[in-house]
Amino acid sequence: MNKNRRVLNRILTIFFIVVQIVWVGLPILMAVLWSLVDPDHPWSFPNVFPEYLSWAQWKYVFNYTNILRALKTSYLLAPCAVLLSLLLSLPTAYVLGRKNVKGKKFFQTLVLLPIIMPGMVVALFLSRVFAAFHLTQSFFGLVLAHTLMGIPYMIRVLTASFEAIPQDIIDAAENLGANTWIKIKDILLPMVRPGLLSGIVFVFTASIEEFNLTFIIGTPTFETIPTILYSFLGYNFIRTNASVVALIMMIPNIIMLFVVERLLKSDYLSASLGKL
Amino acid sequence: MERKKASAVDYLLLLPGIGFIVIFIGSSIYITVAQSFGLLSITGKSQFTFRFWEEVFHDKESLDSILFSLKIGLLSSVATLLCAFPMALFLRKSGPGKGLLSTIIKIPQFIPALVAAFLIINLISYHGIVNEVLMALHIIDKPLRMLNDKFGWGVVLIQVWKNIPFVLLILQGSLASIRDDTVDAAKNLGAGAFSILMRIYIPLAMPGILISMILMFIKAFGDFSITSVAGPAYPPSIALRMRNTATLFQEWDKAAVLGVVIIVITLLITWLYSRLADFVTGDEK
Repeated sequence: MNKNRRVLNRILTIFFIVVQIVWVGLPILMAVLWSLVDPDHPWSFPNVFPEYLSWAQWKYVFNYTNILRALKTSYLLAPCAVLLSLLLSLPTAYVLGRKNVKGKKFFQTLVLLPIIMPGMVVALFLSRVFAAFHLTQSFFGLVLAHTLMGIPYMIRVLTASFEAIPQDIIDAAENLGANTWIKIKDILLPMVRPGLLSGIVFVFTASIEEFNLTFIIGTPTFETIPTILYSFLGYNFIRTNASVVALIMMIPNIIMLFVVERLLKSDYLSASLGKL
Repeated sequence: MERKKASAVDYLLLLPGIGFIVIFIGSSIYITVAQSFGLLSITGKSQFTFRFWEEVFHDKESLDSILFSLKIGLLSSVATLLCAFPMALFLRKSGPGKGLLSTIIKIPQFIPALVAAFLIINLISYHGIVNEVLMALHIIDKPLRMLNDKFGWGVVLIQVWKNIPFVLLILQGSLASIRDDTVDAAKNLGAGAFSILMRIYIPLAMPGILISMILMFIKAFGDFSITSVAGPAYPPSIALRMRNTATLFQEWDKAAVLGVVIIVITLLITWLYSRLADFVTGDEK
């Protein structure tokens, strides 16, 4: 009986892995193939695979589109947004996680507003506010916008991490004469480090993906990878160019997935979003 | 656990994070609401009026967009849940190969929504691989129109593909909190697999199920980019119509009305969720 169950479990695991490889892998494989199609030998019906593969599309995209500039903007914006959201979140999360604040539940829900509020509505009408302060079409404006979209994750994850520190440890340190700085440096920060790292990952990926606000506030002065991809998917749909941009946009994220797999335990996300 | 009582300094420390969010989200909500009633107008004279509300609600096209977005939101959240829940149950117990499985499942979480849209578009386009395979197997005679289809199945498929990992992570979290004792006790008392599912797993995971469905619904309902590349020519999603009304036709006041409609529906659903969640977890006061 027990052995049968184990065998069944094995078979199911293999079955699900195969299904998932097709479900996730096939779309990615198709994009890879499309990006390698040789422009002189178009891939069309009824060929299942392209006849000739070449790097020509990649060269074209890098030489004749704004992709390099978009890459630079995207990867400059993300660390800025991470840093700003980190600075803004730490004090707030500390208080929410460790102190008896009145209306704590209310604040916890309030924090989620940027991800609950429909992105396009915020983008469109926040752009009116930004316009009034000359923040549209500016890099600083984009940093503020990306911080806004990432900060809910950061506050939520950090709050959960601060909450998890046992009070005994802090009391013990106080008894042994630790001052505020020592408490922050040697106890609080090391103990919230896993949460801190997963917060950083969340905000970073949220920033790389951010489309609505960047599209309304930043274009045409600033193009990020998502807005450039959108332009290839729009009126002039160029599948091969779009494949290249899509892959460029994906590669760092997938590497990050494997690097942070350890960190992205389900409890972080559910701790941060499990309850409104 | 003993928590220290908050002092005035603590409330000040709340400000950086909370203040930042309140200033930006608050001001954008304020402008949306004000403009929908004709105030703060940028194109004409500012004057309080219900005119734009009447115009939008007498306009069949706007209503079509609202219904379309509601439909996409509902279908996407239900479909994603149906795909993710069995997976979450299966992954509850660790076993050989399951680490690899959960890594593969999580990949779409790291693929940006627009890229996901493009990847799926490739598969379901007129001469895409799905149509080719179905034709080769003689299941269909001529290619199906799955991209930009009238109903919006293409959009739903993209939403499901992209969001399964997100929903799965939340579900795994709430399933992990169910103690094995509870399940074992039910087994000892003779409960079958189906009644364990219906009476233990689903009810105890209900808070997670609800929150993941709500977050999914909100995403799909307010979506702009996916519908604009994979959705039908008519009707546009409500967010797409709002943006076009504002930036193409420069009718910011009417766009603001649509904005308020999106916000109100979103908040209404979120409120409904929190009532439901209180109800199922027995927090009712």
